[in-house]
Amino acid sequence: MQTSFSPQQLARPEIAEADGILRTCVHYGFCTATCPTYVLFRDENDSPRGRIDLIRAMLEKGGAPDAKTVHHLDRCLSCLSCVTTCAVKVDYTHLIDIARSYIERHFRRPLGERMLRLLLAQTLPYPRRFIAAMKLARLARPLAGVMPKRLGNLLQLAEREPRTELVKPQVIPAEGRRRMRVLLLTGCAQQALDADINAATIRVLTRHGCEVVIAEGAGCCGALPLHMGREDEGRALARRNVAAWSREWTDGIGAVVVNASGCGTTVKDYGHLLGTDEAKRIGAMTRDVTEILADLDLQVQPDWKPYRVAYHDACSLQHGQRVTAPPRQLLRKAGFEVIDLPEKHFCCGSAGTYNLLQPEIAQTLGQRKAAHADSVDPDVIAAGNLGCMVQIGRYTQVPMLHTVSLIDWATGGPMPLALQGRTLREPERKPAQPERKPAQPEPSPSIAPASIETPPTSNDSGFW
Amino acid sequence: MSALDTFFAELEKQLGAGSVNRSEETIRRYGENTMAGGDKRPAGVVYPQSTADVQAIVRLANTMKVPLYPVSTGQNIGLGSRSAPREGQVVVDCGFKMNRILEIDEKLAFAVVEPGVSYQALYDELVRRGNKLMLDVTSGPPQGGMIGNALDKGAGYTPYFDHFGFSCGLEIVLGNGEILRTGDGALNSQTLANWHTSKYSFGPILDGLFAQSNYGIVTRMGVWLLPKPPAVRSFHFAFPEDSDLEQIIELARPLKMSNFVPTLFRLANDLYLCGSEGESPEYAASRGKKSISDEGRRALREKHGLGAWNLSGAFYGPSAAAIEPMIQRVIDHFGQIKNTKYIPHEDASQIGPLQVGINAFSGIPSYGELGLLKWRPGGGNLWFLPGTPMDGKIANEFQAICRGVYEEFGMDYMVMNVCGPRFARGLHVMTFNREDPDECARADACYRKMSEAVGERGVFVGRAPVDYHDFHMAQAMPSFRDACNGIKTALDPHNVIAPGRYGIG
Repeated sequence: MQTSFSPQQLARPEIAEADGILRTCVHYGFCTATCPTYVLFRDENDSPRGRIDLIRAMLEKGGAPDAKTVHHLDRCLSCLSCVTTCAVKVDYTHLIDIARSYIERHFRRPLGERMLRLLLAQTLPYPRRFIAAMKLARLARPLAGVMPKRLGNLLQLAEREPRTELVKPQVIPAEGRRRMRVLLLTGCAQQALDADINAATIRVLTRHGCEVVIAEGAGCCGALPLHMGREDEGRALARRNVAAWSREWTDGIGAVVVNASGCGTTVKDYGHLLGTDEAKRIGAMTRDVTEILADLDLQVQPDWKPYRVAYHDACSLQHGQRVTAPPRQLLRKAGFEVIDLPEKHFCCGSAGTYNLLQPEIAQTLGQRKAAHADSVDPDVIAAGNLGCMVQIGRYTQVPMLHTVSLIDWATGGPMPLALQGRTLREPERKPAQPERKPAQPEPSPSIAPASIETPPTSNDSGFW
Repeated sequence: MSALDTFFAELEKQLGAGSVNRSEETIRRYGENTMAGGDKRPAGVVYPQSTADVQAIVRLANTMKVPLYPVSTGQNIGLGSRSAPREGQVVVDCGFKMNRILEIDEKLAFAVVEPGVSYQALYDELVRRGNKLMLDVTSGPPQGGMIGNALDKGAGYTPYFDHFGFSCGLEIVLGNGEILRTGDGALNSQTLANWHTSKYSFGPILDGLFAQSNYGIVTRMGVWLLPKPPAVRSFHFAFPEDSDLEQIIELARPLKMSNFVPTLFRLANDLYLCGSEGESPEYAASRGKKSISDEGRRALREKHGLGAWNLSGAFYGPSAAAIEPMIQRVIDHFGQIKNTKYIPHEDASQIGPLQVGINAFSGIPSYGELGLLKWRPGGGNLWFLPGTPMDGKIANEFQAICRGVYEEFGMDYMVMNVCGPRFARGLHVMTFNREDPDECARADACYRKMSEAVGERGVFVGRAPVDYHDFHMAQAMPSFRDACNGIKTALDPHNVIAPGRYGIG
């Protein structure tokens, strides 16, 4: 794509970066076929290709963007499905971030929207504030029906009684011989909404020989404000984490472990966001918890029941981080039967704050995803991101669990809270066989799994 | 109000709100393609959601003499995208709302799909149902449309590679607005037991009329599925010399004629495979005016562990162990060529361009081959699809001709020969910078010269980019052209369905 920025515009780093990205787009359009909003609306402006054009026009023109542009860019989920699909590998990830930041700086939103965004930005990244807000929201739940849709959705977050627990800075020793020392990001909203995830992560890591360090001063990764274009706030949170982790950094640190894939995508990109050597080092050392566990020798419980697990690929994990094989390998190794969802490349509508800011589209996508999950008749649905769990959980009766909670349970941890009090079906089949070969390097995400990686065919129909 | 305005207003009235899109952005995008000749703006886009809607569109088009251009789903890159042969046609986009899998018969192993069903969608559904059946996929993008590909004579690589051949039973809205069912679906009955199981019962076989033509809009198609084998094991060979092609073809032919190897062979040259892994290392220096050097090709081959020619195939069986003896026979067979390198299944699954083949042999849609489209910048892409008899000498002669023409026009020779027992389709990819007028002109001239060169030696193209439909039809014998146009007059008397598509109408 040709662009026409002035030399003055190109002197600004973010415009120069955007220009380089824009020039790579040649409008093949593969992105459209996997873009949730284009699939829903068939509107060019709601496709990645169309949005790239809108961004180009907005940045070239300068000044305040028009409402139409903002409308369509706001509707982008940043699910990055387009990045996986793109034939020429347009760096849409950073382009949409630049655009969101530009809009935040140059566009005056209506008062109600500004207030909502401010509320989210000042609450979600801070666990104590979020917990307090949840308590207030529970009191206000009777008013949900008469409140504006978006506020009503906020109150829905408080529908269930979450298990809240703030993890204090500490060092949790490995059980037995220490094999690795890792920093764990305990996150923000996750601590307020589902403390079980961090607890299970710590249990499973320590059980497998990891010493877990919770660093003093680390908190929200910055993804939530960044997702709303609040770049300065996002950077500030990222800097705080880099500083906190750098203080703990010793030669023995093997990785920064993240168990919320939305955060993982952001932390892995700290090098780009902050540009410092420390940030680059941390970004390069960051791993999703399933990547770490895949490298450890999973202590599988004998005679584990092969419950049927529908695995949902969080967009941030499959498109943002290109981590698709390790969660499946782990779950299978632990003895579960793992089922892929139809349309697994598609977003569930959670997308950071998207389900709060774009509730109608998010609801459509959430219902669509939950229907796909239900259609494979699972005992549980697993995902590697809290946002997806909350979002899909709204539209299905099937228990929704974090992958690490299942791994913890299957390797000696307690039954996950979400399953307690439920009766799961007695599995009919034998556990899936462990991988025939040692864990292989993960295939490129742009390449579907080769035949050797597909689930074993349970029944060859007698043809063979 | 113009006649077109009236047409769209009436359509929206009949089909409902949201069924018509005439926004500038939409019109611009639906007119885009990757050809050298420029975009072709349509008049607007309509979105039917049923066969009845398609009928309504076609009938109104007949009444108001408005030309239509039906598309299914997918991008059709290299062959015209969604761009019509001529400007001003109304795109009938069946991909948006007609995307239902109507039926899957697991006992008789067939599926029935609408035009908007992609390979990925049917694959997902088959996996969801227990992964017992396998569909044949292309090595192109997973979101490609099954009906569109079959009707354009697209193909895959498994024993069910021939997508039109393994379709069975079409439903078509003819150019005159009538509905036609082909095969056993022609029975005038509400109960059609054999519509999607038998193609050759009573009367003429009409299905072929709707492949690479413009006589109607196909709204439903049966597609046969293969029982999924428990084990798929691929084999791969890298051959060092361009001239090895002759012997490779000679050795491949008997393996296919006897059906010893059940898949087709993917016989790709170095640039076709390496091109999907990165950009041309020499483009910037030559500004796209020269083909990549032999040294450059050698360096790429070494980097990726590939050869000047590379052959892949696969066996199916109850287990890897059961397949192993057959793999060994193939290793011995191709080992007759000097300096052949064998690449086993596991190793190949870690080499991107070969993994694409493994996925295709396994019926798994994948994105890997799309990387070819960024070999050169600027988004120009043409497919040139002649074929060669499975005769080594002739194949090698065609290689020399096409390689020479590519070099004459400064293009990079990328080709994959998809080999059957008697015939190999030569999928020639031309990537070029569409933002450079000189490169566009060279790409266009290259395409035409190759078409004429192979035509002089008795070879016609298969699928063709939309800009060259008239050109290729002019290469056909007069009576073929007359017959095609005669059928057009009979089935689409007002010439409303895709006038000019494949040079008809």
